[in-house]
Amino acid sequence: MAGKKKKFDTVAFGFIAPAFLFFTLFIIVPTLASVYYSFTSWDGLSPTVKFVGLANYKEILTGARFRNALINTFILTFFISILENTMALCLALMVDNVKWWKNFFRSAFYIPVLISGIVSGFIWKIMYNYNFGAINTILNSMGAGGLKQDWLGNPSLALIMVGVVLVWKGAGYYMIIYLASLQSVSTDVVEAASIDGASPWQRFRHIILPLISGAFTINFTLSLINGLKVFDQISVMTDGGPGFTTETIVYLLYKVGFNEGRQGFGTAVGIVLLFIIIILNTLQQKFLKSREVQL
Amino acid sequence: MKDQTIKKNKQKFRPSQVALFALTLVLAVFFLWPVFFAVMSAFKSNGDILKSPVALPTSLYLKNFQDLFAQSDFVTAIKHSLILTIVSEALIVCLVPMAAYAIERRSSRTTRLIYTYFLAGMMIPFHLYMFPLFKEMKIFGIYGTLAGPIACYISGSVAFGTLLYSSFLKGVPLEIEEAAQIDGCTPFQTFWQVTFPLLGPCTASMVVLNGLNIWNDFLMPYLALPSNMAKTITVEVYSFVGQYTARWDIVFAGTVCSIVPALCIFILLQKYFVKGITAGAAKG
Repeated sequence: MAGKKKKFDTVAFGFIAPAFLFFTLFIIVPTLASVYYSFTSWDGLSPTVKFVGLANYKEILTGARFRNALINTFILTFFISILENTMALCLALMVDNVKWWKNFFRSAFYIPVLISGIVSGFIWKIMYNYNFGAINTILNSMGAGGLKQDWLGNPSLALIMVGVVLVWKGAGYYMIIYLASLQSVSTDVVEAASIDGASPWQRFRHIILPLISGAFTINFTLSLINGLKVFDQISVMTDGGPGFTTETIVYLLYKVGFNEGRQGFGTAVGIVLLFIIIILNTLQQKFLKSREVQL
Repeated sequence: MKDQTIKKNKQKFRPSQVALFALTLVLAVFFLWPVFFAVMSAFKSNGDILKSPVALPTSLYLKNFQDLFAQSDFVTAIKHSLILTIVSEALIVCLVPMAAYAIERRSSRTTRLIYTYFLAGMMIPFHLYMFPLFKEMKIFGIYGTLAGPIACYISGSVAFGTLLYSSFLKGVPLEIEEAAQIDGCTPFQTFWQVTFPLLGPCTASMVVLNGLNIWNDFLMPYLALPSNMAKTITVEVYSFVGQYTARWDIVFAGTVCSIVPALCIFILLQKYFVKGITAGAAKG
């Protein structure tokens, strides 16, 4: 292929142009417009736009509400990334090693991924309900009524409870990636190690884990970025509350934009979010490259 | 001698295998239970859902679905969900593989630059550009119509789609295309009649994964479709949660309408989900 570098001709142009046009018109153009609006106090409706310089970014840096959203986002994102990856890796190891019903288990763990964010949020919201929810009912019937909680109404629990739903819904996706990676590990290497007397744990720690580190880096970055973008579950389960305890960056962006008519500020929040995502992606690339060098 | 060692190994691992199976089964029950709970509740009266949330339905109770269709315009919602998913996917399958083909087969500095441009755009979160996007839709006159979300779904799939298709195209042999060209096919014919049929598995992966996202999408139809009519299944479920705070039975009936089609497609086309996810991750 390398020897056949062609020129960008009319055929290539014709083939790429439609996709390029859509992509540019509906993603890049509004993104560039967002950069512009982030320096304004645009309300989303009025035709005139007032330029306010760096005022929005200044508010982001100094305002308590953004700091709160940032902290919530980081707590939620790290909580779910670590749990999702641990869970997904365990599930993948189990599905890979279990002797019976392999395909059934793989499907069972993947099924929550199929359900929309809104629907999964609603199902769990009902299960969390204080008076009629399944969780408190089960606790009651087990004689552990003392553990009953207003799961989503308790300010110190709400964010974690949203996280549980996200882990439940997300783990199956990452499991598929771990599973593919585990299946690509050559059985010869693992067998050789076990003949040399390596215990199952040693085989996992020193042979399998290094060989699937690429999948680990990819999954961890993916789950971090997906965690940053969580919206649906929050909107149906807590609406950012109680108080502002589950208001994340994306939710703050949405609320200031659509409920408070401050779309200029909202887009500035979006720009900050984009920068966080770019940093995470760059770190991922670096990690993957350094691993390649090691191998 | 060899047979004996294998047998011995089997016996040695038996208890741990059973334990692992049991543990996996318990976890599978935990993962499936909320889905089961939702489906079960859709066939129970509201009183039963409140009184005994964990119990099984006692009879085939269909009143929830009758109420769902009588009290809301759920038919329109289902229609919108189907149109958005099917039309978007059809257009995506027309446009995206062509772009990937040009990037892969007519590689030049410009095409590689465009590929990087697509991949970089993949990082941009929807929430960042949604405010100006709606303004743009109004300028184009597609705000409040199904064309608005469809245009956005197409553009949103370009980056991931070209990535998936170009990694797949690397494994498609060039010889057949060259033969077709020698036989006098135009590049357009070569692609659609020779290469595209070979991309079947990749197209299937792309359609199921992307289609699921569109089927389940919330924010775009919620904001971009007119508010005087039913929007999509997901949006209707969301609005029921606020509207019928006391009628969980109706909401559960709605959730079943959202879950069941996705579940059926998954059961039928499982392997394409797996292929698409792993191919996307390997390259992304």
